Amino acid sequence: MSDYDAIVVGSGAGGGVAAAVLAEAGKSVLLLERGRNLSFEAVGRDHLRNQRMPVYGHNAGPDIDGNPRTIEADSFPILVGQALGDLRLLRPHEPGYQNNAACVGSGTRVYAGQAWRFMPQDFRMASEYGLPKGSSLADWPITYEDMAPYYEKVEWEIGICGDHRTMTHLPAYDRPYPMPALPLPHKSGIHKRGLESLGWQWLRVPRLINSVPYNDRPGCINCQHCVGYACPADAKNGSQNTTVPRALRSGNCTLRAEVMVERLDSSDGGRITGVTVIDAAGERQTYTADVLVLSCGAVETARLLLNSATRHEPTGIGNSGDQVGRNLQGHYYPGAAGLFPDVMFDGVGPGCSIATCEFNHGNDGIIGGGFLGDEDIVTPITLWKRFYPPDAPRWGIEAKRFMRDNFRRINDVTGPVQEIPSPEARVTVNPRVKDKYGIPVVHLSGKTHPETVRSARFMHERAKEWLLASGATKVWGKPPPRYLSGGQHQAGTCRMGEDSATSVVDPFCRVHSHDNLFIADGSPHVTNGGFNPVETIMALAWRTAENIVKRW
Amino acid sequence: MFEHTQMKCLHALLDTIIPPDDYPGAVEAGVGDYLQRQLAGDLAESLSSYETWLADLDAEARAVNGTDFADMTPRERAELLTRVETGVVKARWSIEPAAFFREIVEHCAEGYYSDSGNGGNRGGIAWRMIGFEVTG
Ligand SMILES: Cc1cc2nc3c(=O)[nH]c(=O)nc-3n(C[C@H](O)[C@H](O)[C@H](O)COP(=O)(O)OP(=O)(O)OC[C@H]3O[C@@H](n4cnc5c(N)ncnc54)[C@H](O)[C@@H]3O)c2cc1C
Ligand code: SF4
Repeated sequence: MSDYDAIVVGSGAGGGVAAAVLAEAGKSVLLLERGRNLSFEAVGRDHLRNQRMPVYGHNAGPDIDGNPRTIEADSFPILVGQALGDLRLLRPHEPGYQNNAACVGSGTRVYAGQAWRFMPQDFRMASEYGLPKGSSLADWPITYEDMAPYYEKVEWEIGICGDHRTMTHLPAYDRPYPMPALPLPHKSGIHKRGLESLGWQWLRVPRLINSVPYNDRPGCINCQHCVGYACPADAKNGSQNTTVPRALRSGNCTLRAEVMVERLDSSDGGRITGVTVIDAAGERQTYTADVLVLSCGAVETARLLLNSATRHEPTGIGNSGDQVGRNLQGHYYPGAAGLFPDVMFDGVGPGCSIATCEFNHGNDGIIGGGFLGDEDIVTPITLWKRFYPPDAPRWGIEAKRFMRDNFRRINDVTGPVQEIPSPEARVTVNPRVKDKYGIPVVHLSGKTHPETVRSARFMHERAKEWLLASGATKVWGKPPPRYLSGGQHQAGTCRMGEDSATSVVDPFCRVHSHDNLFIADGSPHVTNGGFNPVETIMALAWRTAENIVKRW
Repeated sequence: MFEHTQMKCLHALLDTIIPPDDYPGAVEAGVGDYLQRQLAGDLAESLSSYETWLADLDAEARAVNGTDFADMTPRERAELLTRVETGVVKARWSIEPAAFFREIVEHCAEGYYSDSGNGGNRGGIAWRMIGFEVTG
C-alpha cells in the first residue's frame, strides 16, 4: 500500500493543474515544492532584485546561494558567472542559468499572465516547413483540436480575460473568455492605430488576470508592478491562488513546500515507487505513490530523470533513446524601442494590451515567426538598463534632463519568436558539482538553431516598422545573437511523440518506459509556439491529469 | 569604508554624474547611501576598484587643475570626466579609467532610479521627477 495515490513534484503552472485535477477526482495527492510559500511582502518590490530585473538577485527563487548550474562557455555570447575549468559556474539570477522560479506557484507567482493559445500550425511545424538542417523540428503527436477544449477549461476555470472576437488568427472559439479585456492604456491605443495604419491584424492580449471580480477574488487595480512582482489585489491568477488552493480545498491534497526531491525511487524490477526528498532541515525522507507526476519545469524535470538512474535504466529514467534533456528551447525576444513626440505612459498597468499575430506564420523564407505586442509597464531602472537610446547621454545634467523629459515618451514593442529546436541545446547533469542538498547540478550546453536567429532578425525589423507607424521619431535596438535559450519560457526537454527512440513521453505525456510516470510541465512541448507558453502548459497538464484519472 | 577625502571625492563625483537642479542631485537623493550599502554587500568585490579609481581621479584633477577633484567647480569636474570617459588622461591611472567610470555611472543610476528601499531615490524623488507614479 502506497503512502499516496499520486505525488506531484513542483507546484508551478503544470504541477498546480495536475494536483487540482487529481485531488478533485478523489485521489490522495502529495504536492512537493522545493521553494517557499511566498507572501506578497516576501516577494517585495525591489527594482534591482526581481524576476524581471535580476541585477543583484531575484524575488521568486531559487535562493542564489547553494543552487548553482554549469554552462559551456560558448553557449552564451557574453562571459557569464565564474570560471570553473573550461566551464562557467552560474548562480540562479545570472544570465545563462535558464531560471524561471522556485516557490509555491513558481513563475506564476510573479508572471505577467499573458495567456496565449498556440496556433494550429504550431503543432505541425515540420509538416508546414520541412526539416531545417541540424534541427530536430517535428510535429506534435496531437493537434490544436485536441488542445482546444483544455484551453477553454483553463480560460474559464483558472480565469483569463480577453476578447475572443479579436483572435482572428485562430479557429473560432466555442466560448468567449469569461472576462472582458483589461482597459486599454493610452499608449496601447496609439500602438493599435499604428497597426491599423500598416494594415496589420491587431488583438487584445488575453491575460490570466481578473479584469473584473472572478472566482471569489477581486479585479485588477491597474498597478505598475505586474510582471516580476506579486499582485497587490490578488487579481493575477497563478497556481498559488487558483489550482493549488483548489487541490487543498478538496481535502485530498497535502502541500509540502521547501522540500527538494532528490530522486525517483524504483523497485528491483525498475518500477517507479516514489521519491526520496530532502527537507529544509536537511532530513532525508521517502514517500511512496502509485502514480508520479513530474512538474519541475523543463530544466529540472530533465535533471531529476537523469539523476534517478537505475540498473534497468543506467543513463536515466526514460532516457533509453538518449532524448532526456535535449531540445531545450524558450523564446528569443526581439523587439525595438522608440522615442515618441507625446507622452505615452499613463501608469495604467499591467500595460501589454495590444498585439499582432500578422507574422506568426507565412513569412517568406522564415520558419515560423512570432507575435509582437506592446510592453508591460517598464520601471525607471529597467528603462535605463534595457530601453535607453544608445546615443543618449548617460551622465551629467543632460542625462538627468533626458530621463526627466523622456521616461514617459520611450516605449517598446517586442514578442517571443518560435525557436527552431536543436538536439544539441541540452540539459545534462554535472556529477562533479553538487547543490546545497548534495545533488549533482544541471549542466547546460549547445545553442539554439541558426534559424531562430534569422526569425528574430526578421521580427526585429517588423518591430521597428510598427514603432514608426505608431509615430516614433526615432527607433533603436539590436537583433539578438545566437545563444542557448530556455529561461522563463523553458520547454522541450522531454518531448512528446509516438516513438521512444525519438521522444520521452507518449501523446498523453506518460514516460514511454513506465506506466505510472507522467510529465506535466513545459518539457513535453515538441515546439514552443511563437507565444508565451503558460496557457499551453496548463492546458496540456489538464489533459494529462484527466487522462490519468480516466485510466486509473 | 571610505575615509574623509575619499568620501568627498566620491560625493563630488556622484553629483557630477547626476547633478542637482530643481530636483536633488545624486547625493541628496541618497545615492551615497545606496553605494555604501552595495559596496558592503553585492558589490563588495568592487570596493578596492572604487578606492583606486577615486585616488586616480584625484591625481588626474591635480595634474590638470592643481586641486583635488572635489575642489573643482561643477563645470570643471564635468569637463574632466568627459576626458576620462574618452580615455584622454594626464595622470598615470592604475585602473582603466573609462571602463570603470561606466560602471560607476551605472551604479549611480541604480541608486537614483530604483526603489527607495535600496537607499537612493529618497522619498521617491527621482520617480516624481520623471513621472513614475505608484498607485497600487
Ligand atoms: C517574471 C516572469 C514573467 C512571466 N510571464 C509570463 C507570461 O506572461 N505568460 C506566460 O505564458 N508565461 C510567463 N512566464 C513563464 C511561466 O511562469 C512558465 O512558463 C511556467 O511557470 C512554466 O510552468 P512549468 O509547469 O513548466 O514549470 P514551473 O512553473 O517553473 O514549475 C516548476 C516548479 O517545480 C519546482 N521544482 C523543480 N525541481 C524540483 C524538485 N526536484 N523538487 C521539488 N520541487 C521542484 C520548482 O521550484 C518550481 O516551483 C513568466 C515567468 C516569469 C518568471
Ligand atoms: S496590474 Fe497590478 S493589480 Fe493588475 S493584475 Fe497586475 S499586479 Fe495585479
